[in-house]
Amino acid sequence: MRDTILLTGSTGVIGRALFPMLAERRDVEQVYALVRGGGENPSLAKVTSVSGDIVAGNRIGLNTHWLEEIAERVTLIIHAAADTRFSAPLSELRAVNVEGTRNVLNFARRCPRLRGIVCLSTVHVAGKRTGAIEEEIVEHSAGFVNSYEQSKYESELLLREGMRDLPICVVRLSTVLGDSRSGEVAKLAAIHQGLRLYYHSLAPMIPGAPSSPVDLVASDFAAAAIAHLAISNFTAGSVYHVCGGRDTLALADLLEMTREAFVLHRPAWRKRSIASPTVVDLATFELFARSVDEVGDNLLRHSVNVIRHFAPQLAYPKTYEDAGCRHVLASMGNERPRVADFYPKVVRWLVESGWADRNLMAPVEAVAS
Amino acid sequence: MGHPSQPPVGVTAIEYVLGAETVSVEELENRGLLETPAGRLQEFGFHCVHLSQEPAHELGLRAARKLLEAASVDPESVDAIFYVGATPHGHAISIDDPRSAFNYPVAHLQYELELTRAITAGISQLGCAGLMTAVSMARNFLIANESATRVLCVSSDVFPAGSRREMIYNVISDGACALLVEKGAEKNRILDYRQVTKGYYWDLTTKENEIAAAYFPTARAIMQDTLRDCGIDWSSVGLILPHNVSLRSWEILLGLIGAPAEKLFAANIARFGHAIAADNFINLRDAEGSGRVQPSDKLLLFTFGFGANWACMLLEH
Repeated sequence: MRDTILLTGSTGVIGRALFPMLAERRDVEQVYALVRGGGENPSLAKVTSVSGDIVAGNRIGLNTHWLEEIAERVTLIIHAAADTRFSAPLSELRAVNVEGTRNVLNFARRCPRLRGIVCLSTVHVAGKRTGAIEEEIVEHSAGFVNSYEQSKYESELLLREGMRDLPICVVRLSTVLGDSRSGEVAKLAAIHQGLRLYYHSLAPMIPGAPSSPVDLVASDFAAAAIAHLAISNFTAGSVYHVCGGRDTLALADLLEMTREAFVLHRPAWRKRSIASPTVVDLATFELFARSVDEVGDNLLRHSVNVIRHFAPQLAYPKTYEDAGCRHVLASMGNERPRVADFYPKVVRWLVESGWADRNLMAPVEAVAS
Repeated sequence: MGHPSQPPVGVTAIEYVLGAETVSVEELENRGLLETPAGRLQEFGFHCVHLSQEPAHELGLRAARKLLEAASVDPESVDAIFYVGATPHGHAISIDDPRSAFNYPVAHLQYELELTRAITAGISQLGCAGLMTAVSMARNFLIANESATRVLCVSSDVFPAGSRREMIYNVISDGACALLVEKGAEKNRILDYRQVTKGYYWDLTTKENEIAAAYFPTARAIMQDTLRDCGIDWSSVGLILPHNVSLRSWEILLGLIGAPAEKLFAANIARFGHAIAADNFINLRDAEGSGRVQPSDKLLLFTFGFGANWACMLLEH
């Protein structure tokens, strides 16, 4: 049986990489790409863009025609839509990430042919936990670095409830950096903004330890993994970590690789003699951030806030276990790209794309879906 | 780091004068001379500043005269005078007549103090790092000249009347500091001096944010490199003699370098704030006077000057 798929979040970082991949598969009959506000996806055979919005109730904003057609035909839902703003108020993030997910689940209950729902999440639901993070949904009271993490955590608790009557699989992504082959970044996220601040000498310090592991994943691999987990190996009730796992970079090494890539791809940058951000304990970073909040001007305050909204994760070192995911992906045939190989390509792409010249005051979005 | 075969050179005497008028930060706010609210600057450790009606060269002359008298220095024994001023107007006495641009304070000083054997030079464009650089250059001069024994270094900075008294969240005093750098010194021997200049940050008017951000990582690096160069760590440092920028920024920097707060001589931040290039050596003078320094203590001096210059000196008391 070939799958008919409803994809939410098709214009996001992962969605953009995912829907062409889905459309190419022989075991996919059709893809309905839910698009908010009448937006369009690039025209592809088997892909139908439909107007909808996951926050618009249990009909997820579909008109009656599409509601009936999709509900009747869909066999898989890939729920990738999310509000990924780190700095947004929790109430706004919950509206999309928790209530929007609830609406998608309620819509799924209308679908008689449905065999699975793949919900994208983030490894950062672990919040301030440290150590080994397993591929399972667990309640914790460690707290969170930002409201985005909390909203996705709450969303996962909702999914765990939903697993009682729905075939749900959760795929947690770590920080999605860019394409492993070309280095292309579909959408600039917090980590890319952080790198840009370093490039411009506006990133004086990062909380953590030099040895803090930084988990990054390539966008093309992440999309292929999601497609495989959804279509070829769907297992209801499972949780997978699509991440670097044991293949991480230490923070100090990542900063050094960044400096080397800046110098290599923009030789004139060397003469600025910009120092690498200092890795500091969280208390010192917070004191600095508070001081900038109190007296800094807008640009410096914004710069520090970009770092403040995601980098404190590095002060809570953890390793994401991914044995379950690797086991399933072994049949996929794609080797996970090594971060030391694709990271310099992404930095090169950023430098050559003119990313340094874009608006430094852009809002901060998540690194994962 | 100095070579073992080189004669020891150190700072043997220090005197200073501050502007005569003591003004609280609240009063500065009332006079419209601050950008940040006074309350916030008080939280950052600033209470008072000293304003001078005297021009910089007069303040410098008073500091130097005080030093020569206190140390009973024979004027004929001074081999060189290095005069430090952070701003261009500090290097000329009166600028109404174009020719007065050549009326150098250091020559005036030499004449007034009857230092007839001393050669002179002005040191500028180093911001608040000027005096530390001058001390280092004095050391190099003494090592290079076998017969030379004594250099007088004088820094003096007075902001024009009515000038704003805040720079990147720091409150500025007018002040002058004079010190003797001597060959064969028994105290405050210079063990090491490092300076890092990053010309990328030359334009304060467009790079203030970048300077504020760049300050910390480079400050940390230069201090750690200085200690490493001397084969010691923070546990061997008796006292940190700061430039008197905000106490808050020093708290952050102490966190970065992993040094305990009690090693910072911070008393003068509240008393007069930031006296441009003079801070570190005024603090050395007052630390000695207050008994905070013991013989053979290692003293670490750090400053940052626009330009952009990070400077660090290690002394052995």
